[in-house]
Amino acid sequence: MSFIEVSGLKKTYSTRFGGNKVEALRNVTFSVEEGEFIAIMGESGSGKTTLLNILAALDKPTGGTVLLGGVDLSRIKESSIAAFRRDNLGFVFQEFNLLDTFSVEDNIYLPLVLAAKPYKEMQSKLMNIAQRLGIAGILKKYPYEISGGQKQRAAVARAMITDPMVILADEPTGALDSRSSDDLLGLFRDVNCSGLTIIMVTHSIKAASVASRVLFIRDGAVYHQLYRGSDTDEQMYQRITDSLTLLATGGDRQ
Amino acid sequence: MKTMFYPKLALDGMGKNSKLYLPYILTCSGMVLMHYIVAFISEADTIASLRGGDTIQAFLSLGVFVIEAFSLLFLIYTNSFLIRRRKKEFGLYNMLGMGKKNLALILLWENVITAAIALIAGISFGILFSKLAELGLIYTVGGDVNYMFTVSPDSIIMTVRNYLVIFAVLFLNDLRQIGSATAINLIKSENVGEKPPKGNVLYGVLGVVFLAAAYCIAVTVENPVAAITLFLVAVLLVIGGTYLLMISGSVTLCRMLQKNKSFYYNPKHFVSVSSMAYRMKRNGAGLASICILATMVLVMVSSTTSLYAGLEDAIAEQYPRQINTAFKIDGSDLDSSDKIDEIRSEIIDYSGENGTATENCSEYKYAYTAGMIEKDVAETDQSKSLTYNELTMKGLYEFFFIPLEDYNAVMGTRAELSDGEALVYCYRGSYPYDTITFNGGRTLKLEKINALYFTGLSATSIIPSMYFIVPDVNRAIEGLPQIANIAGDSSVTYYWDFCFDTDLPDDRQHEFASGLINRLSDLVENDTWQLQYVESREYQKEYNIAMNGGLLYLGIVLSIVFLFATVLIIYYKQLSEGYEDRSRFEIMQKVGITKKEIRQSINSQLLTVFFLPLGLAAVHMCFAFPIIKRMLMLFSLRNDFVFLMATGISLGVFSLFYVAVYKITSNAYYNIVSGAKED
Repeated sequence: MSFIEVSGLKKTYSTRFGGNKVEALRNVTFSVEEGEFIAIMGESGSGKTTLLNILAALDKPTGGTVLLGGVDLSRIKESSIAAFRRDNLGFVFQEFNLLDTFSVEDNIYLPLVLAAKPYKEMQSKLMNIAQRLGIAGILKKYPYEISGGQKQRAAVARAMITDPMVILADEPTGALDSRSSDDLLGLFRDVNCSGLTIIMVTHSIKAASVASRVLFIRDGAVYHQLYRGSDTDEQMYQRITDSLTLLATGGDRQ
Repeated sequence: MKTMFYPKLALDGMGKNSKLYLPYILTCSGMVLMHYIVAFISEADTIASLRGGDTIQAFLSLGVFVIEAFSLLFLIYTNSFLIRRRKKEFGLYNMLGMGKKNLALILLWENVITAAIALIAGISFGILFSKLAELGLIYTVGGDVNYMFTVSPDSIIMTVRNYLVIFAVLFLNDLRQIGSATAINLIKSENVGEKPPKGNVLYGVLGVVFLAAAYCIAVTVENPVAAITLFLVAVLLVIGGTYLLMISGSVTLCRMLQKNKSFYYNPKHFVSVSSMAYRMKRNGAGLASICILATMVLVMVSSTTSLYAGLEDAIAEQYPRQINTAFKIDGSDLDSSDKIDEIRSEIIDYSGENGTATENCSEYKYAYTAGMIEKDVAETDQSKSLTYNELTMKGLYEFFFIPLEDYNAVMGTRAELSDGEALVYCYRGSYPYDTITFNGGRTLKLEKINALYFTGLSATSIIPSMYFIVPDVNRAIEGLPQIANIAGDSSVTYYWDFCFDTDLPDDRQHEFASGLINRLSDLVENDTWQLQYVESREYQKEYNIAMNGGLLYLGIVLSIVFLFATVLIIYYKQLSEGYEDRSRFEIMQKVGITKKEIRQSINSQLLTVFFLPLGLAAVHMCFAFPIIKRMLMLFSLRNDFVFLMATGISLGVFSLFYVAVYKITSNAYYNIVSGAKED
């Protein structure tokens, strides 16, 4: 069995007064092996974010199942879902989502504090990660005092500090300039090389070209996927561009 | 069509922000209402015709002024809160091509609409409730009720005029805020000020010092007159100290908590401590205001109710009988009883002519002087003794020497004393020694007694008194009359008091007393005797009821105004924090905080934020207790129990009220924060 198994996933939104139903996800099926770096691409409204929210247990699917390390997400009790999320999943968001009331250090500690870990343990974990991510110098600063790239690295540190099974990233480069984007993607690749599974939703071809596999979503279903194989980033970039062109022109499956 | 554009836009904006505007307009109306009512009563003929009515109306005119000043300050505070939340909207209009002039027009219309609603609603309800308020006052001070409903055009004009000025100031304040900002500033305005505050230790320490000084004054001051001046100083210190402590001290405290790693990095404290540290500086002022307002309400209510409740006791102490007369005796001739007999029979004749007997007569002579006491030595020579501390007046005493026979007659006792012995009674002071020596000369051997009938003399005096019951007054004060006071007269004066009850109904006693004054002043005229006073207890009681009742009434009216303000500050605080926290809790949920943990953290935050001001107000109140007690002595309120009860009850009632407000506003807060979860 695969590390993450998504099968027949459906999500239907109904408008407030019933009536119209919108199908965000029609039938999504794919699996992820441990240590993979998956990029999910698709146009706005294709259901990418809905998919990520369901993987993150922030949202419940209308049908289908998500197995994470053999655990069915929909079977987890409502009361323990937050704890499950905190212990097993790491999140990186487009808008960083750092809390402005906390220093960078405290922002990173947040999930560990919520899990009631002793301070000593938290501290040694942080030192480790801060060195790797190059944010050791800004730990005492507040989010408003640091740059976007630094904020996103702090967010990555927060996602990693619980040693999650998988990191879910929603447009992580969306709010960054190109240089910071490159830094962050390099970081993701490093983290991934050390064995951490990453699932990233993105618009950016550049971001996607770092991944080991790219899934294309259209109209609520996985439409196409690319494996990196032994391609370089540049070759991967080209193949993604080609696939997107094909998607945009509505060409049939090759 | 075009003319209706701005009013429509203004109404639209207010409607969309009804959560903010509704309480604001309600408050404006409430302030107008209160202002009209108090203005109306301070002019009403029905009140003026009450006994002591002019005193009450003087108090209430002061109340009108307080309400006006408070309205101005408070409405500026709430209005700036509104504007802060509206800036984004105005920024958008500005970007879409509206000039500052157009924005000013919208603001003008908003203010016009608010003012119109507030004035119309406030004055209508004011007129409606004014009769109720008037009856309430008449009931409090005791008077004849009439059910004529009146409207005072003068009060309406005054209220409208004053509040139009206040609204104009508010409008100009809005203009100032909008006018100086660019479109981008406006749009981003809600996000500025997101810097984490640094707790300024100096300010925190200063706050503690201020409070300590104020508390110290309140606890140590002995003299009631000094208490009044020092009370004002203490009030200013407490206000300053509270603000400094709340703004800076609380940030410092949170920072210290954050330094304690094992405390801070705990799921229970982590979120609440950090967000408190973060917002304390901005909201410290709000918290301090709540605390100050709460303290003011408590002080006003507890002191005015205890004055009112303790009135009977105070009167009974001051006026032992229905009719109380006092005469200054000529020279030093305490033994001569001719004149006394003449006056006594005149009083009895007068009573007979008025168809009443003189019952429960009590009469006594006494010699009076004043001086300093140091250890067991008294000094009545003012040229030597006036080195006392003027602020505290510590050691200053009044001395009364009463003949033993008069004492035995009035008290119904058969005490016997030999030469050089005295019974002593201390009023409002304590004297631990067994002997007292006057001016380094004569020494009296003292025996303490625990009750004395004569203390009415000292009940209104601000300094403590000692009463000596001696077998022979002239022997006891030997040497003292020869000492001259500052004016060059003898420092000892002699009096004869005659008090009695009548069987006249209450309402005729005053008339009786007035007649008696005429009779007796004829009698002592052209004589070296002087009529000190003829007072009717019933008259004084009515006068005191009017005064204390008026104070109580004013205290309650102002308390209502301040409570209004407290509730509104709390409500706006909760609302603004709710909007701020919304996104924070959203993020935390994504990171993996459970709903239960959110609730816990919200609760611990709210509880602290809510009960910090109340707790501090209670502490203020505890320290204010001794100084207020001393001031109340000036009103002859010596019954500590009454004041203690009044303080306890008002604290209890206020806390209950506070908890109710907490429940209501915390629900508003939950709704805002949890609304985000469902989005």
